[in-house]
Amino acid sequence: MMGHERREGRDLRVGGAWRRGASAVVAGVAALTLAGCLSSGNAGGGESDEDGPIQIGISLPLTGDFSEPGKGVQRGYEAWAAYVNENGGLLGRDVELKILDDQSNADRVASDYEKLINQDGVDLVFGPFSTRLVVPAAQVAQDYGFLFVEPAGAAEEIFTQGFDNLFYAAPAVAQDHYDYLADYIEQMPEDERPKTAAYAAMDDPFAQGTAYGLKDRLEQMGVETVVDEVYPPNTTDFSSIANKISDSNADILVGGTQYQDAVNLIVAVRQLGYQPRMAAFSTAPTNPEFPEAIGDQTEGIISPTGYTPEASWETNAEFVEFYTEMHGTPPNEDEANAWTTGQVVAAAVEAVECADASPECQQSLIDWLRENEVQTVVGPLSWDEAGRPQGAHLIQQYVDGEIKIVLPEEAAEADFIAEKPAW
Amino acid sequence: MSGSLILQSVVLGVLLGGLYALLAAGLTLYFGVMRVVMIAHSAFLILAAYLAWYFTSQTGLDPLFSLIITVPLFFIAGVLMQRLLISRLRPATLTMMSVLLTFSIALIIEGMLGFVFTGTQRRIRLPYSGTSFEIFGANVAVVKLIAFVLAAASLLALYLIMKRTRFGQALRATIQHPEAARLVGVNTDRVAGYGFGLGLATAAVGGTALALDSTIYPSLHWHWIGPLMAIIVVGGLGSIPGAAIAAMVLGIGQALLQLPLGTTWAQTVFYVALFATLMLRPQGFIGGRLAQRF
Repeated sequence: MMGHERREGRDLRVGGAWRRGASAVVAGVAALTLAGCLSSGNAGGGESDEDGPIQIGISLPLTGDFSEPGKGVQRGYEAWAAYVNENGGLLGRDVELKILDDQSNADRVASDYEKLINQDGVDLVFGPFSTRLVVPAAQVAQDYGFLFVEPAGAAEEIFTQGFDNLFYAAPAVAQDHYDYLADYIEQMPEDERPKTAAYAAMDDPFAQGTAYGLKDRLEQMGVETVVDEVYPPNTTDFSSIANKISDSNADILVGGTQYQDAVNLIVAVRQLGYQPRMAAFSTAPTNPEFPEAIGDQTEGIISPTGYTPEASWETNAEFVEFYTEMHGTPPNEDEANAWTTGQVVAAAVEAVECADASPECQQSLIDWLRENEVQTVVGPLSWDEAGRPQGAHLIQQYVDGEIKIVLPEEAAEADFIAEKPAW
Repeated sequence: MSGSLILQSVVLGVLLGGLYALLAAGLTLYFGVMRVVMIAHSAFLILAAYLAWYFTSQTGLDPLFSLIITVPLFFIAGVLMQRLLISRLRPATLTMMSVLLTFSIALIIEGMLGFVFTGTQRRIRLPYSGTSFEIFGANVAVVKLIAFVLAAASLLALYLIMKRTRFGQALRATIQHPEAARLVGVNTDRVAGYGFGLGLATAAVGGTALALDSTIYPSLHWHWIGPLMAIIVVGGLGSIPGAAIAAMVLGIGQALLQLPLGTTWAQTVFYVALFATLMLRPQGFIGGRLAQRF
């Protein structure tokens, strides 16, 4: 919105050059547009004006399957930009977001970033939401040598594509979400540990990653896997899976879930009278709708979380206050990870004192993040060479009807309930 | 694989099949009466489920009471939809065009639900949602049993209306041979409107039954329309008993196949049955004189 004049000005300039160059050739319009894009990128990237705002290009799933979390990420990014601009900007320049809607479509997201980098000549890019969209987007950024910090792509497959420009702005990859819980179970006396475990995971790299990360750890400790079910994302009837779990009578139930699947699974196993000693589900229990749906039976349910407004990290209180003032509700994980993305990129920009599309600047940003730790609202972050953050998620649990941090002990708000009450 | 596991699966399959039967009954009725392929049927199910949820969240009463409002409301909506929209389609291309028309209605309902209630996934919180009792070692969940009883009662009511009332006779006559029905004095237009209303009224009951035991969201209807379409083809298009039997068989089949195959492959049972039907007996395995005409 705000930077229209500047962008249009540049487009006109480039367009004019093109018309002169191409006037002799009457070729296909598509070819012209493509070539126009490329030359625009080169012209725009090199000569970014030093006083104008820093433009940040983003594509988000604002419609389609991921529109709910996509809008959360959008709110987080916009809050971060507003906060930065209120506090003197970045390197003394305002930041300006250019957000496109990729309709949750993986082809669309790649062309969006292509357009942002080439045609719009943005100075920096931020990542989209979810693994499926992060991979194609990161590929485009990689091709242009852009730093790519992303708020929501925790699945292992992101970090095995050979990207050297990617950083995940959250405390831990999916596999490590349950690390504190696994540590806790490991230090339990052997005869008190769960003996058998049932796993039910959505056929989704993130949801499966969380459950299988814990599965690997538990199997190393000798906990026997008695049920290991994978279901497609559109599953709504969980009675048969519940039947298998209930029949196995496993001590611990682990759900690699998103939202409705966890709720439906919990109701289905309760209908069959199954009572595990521990029950852990990813994502769903931290959703405010969850206690609405499950009622009084939430007590003792465990969930890893990458963010809670209560966390005592340095900049978090300020973030929660600013965000709550802007939107009337405290931020969730999606908003926090978006904000974190902003913090990470800002830290690199401030440290190397550049923010433009030139390969030298982008490379120095990447190099700086490889070497340094950044203080964020989800805690201090540092990364391995593939961009995996080197932390673990906090473990939350429903205690006295409210979800509270229970592990690790130094961050705990309440004591961990090792023996889940009946649901 | 233990015996109790299989027994429990059969029980779950029967309960699921009963719900499928009710949901498919309306769909086959539309086709029987008017050769209309009603893609929006499952969207109306979800609409009814949302109304039940909204009713409960506003009044605190049991969602079953919402039927007092939704059943007449859906009946009227069905009559209006048939008279104002479907009846304007040209008879020669009715079946094909009805797909487009009802598809757009499904999209409108989905969009409106998202607009009014947001995309947040909802579930009716019932004090008895996890309650169950044991029969021969198998657990029967109260909510599933209520849904099953609702389905059985509605199907019985539908059967009695079709077989025992003058309206039912006229409706069946319209299904069997519209021209002949007109010749003997049946007002087929009005009957068709009421038939459509009846089909939509079953969607109100089915949606409420669905809402008792599932988490709902605006796009949920796409997960239902495929299996339901498969059921009515297998059962023979236009045959209500055929749809009910096919629903039961496929529901139990799905529940049992989940044991060895897992969830992903078990849901293909509907489509395997659909292909098998089209290859071996395109008019459907039960009932289904109608399909021969296509």
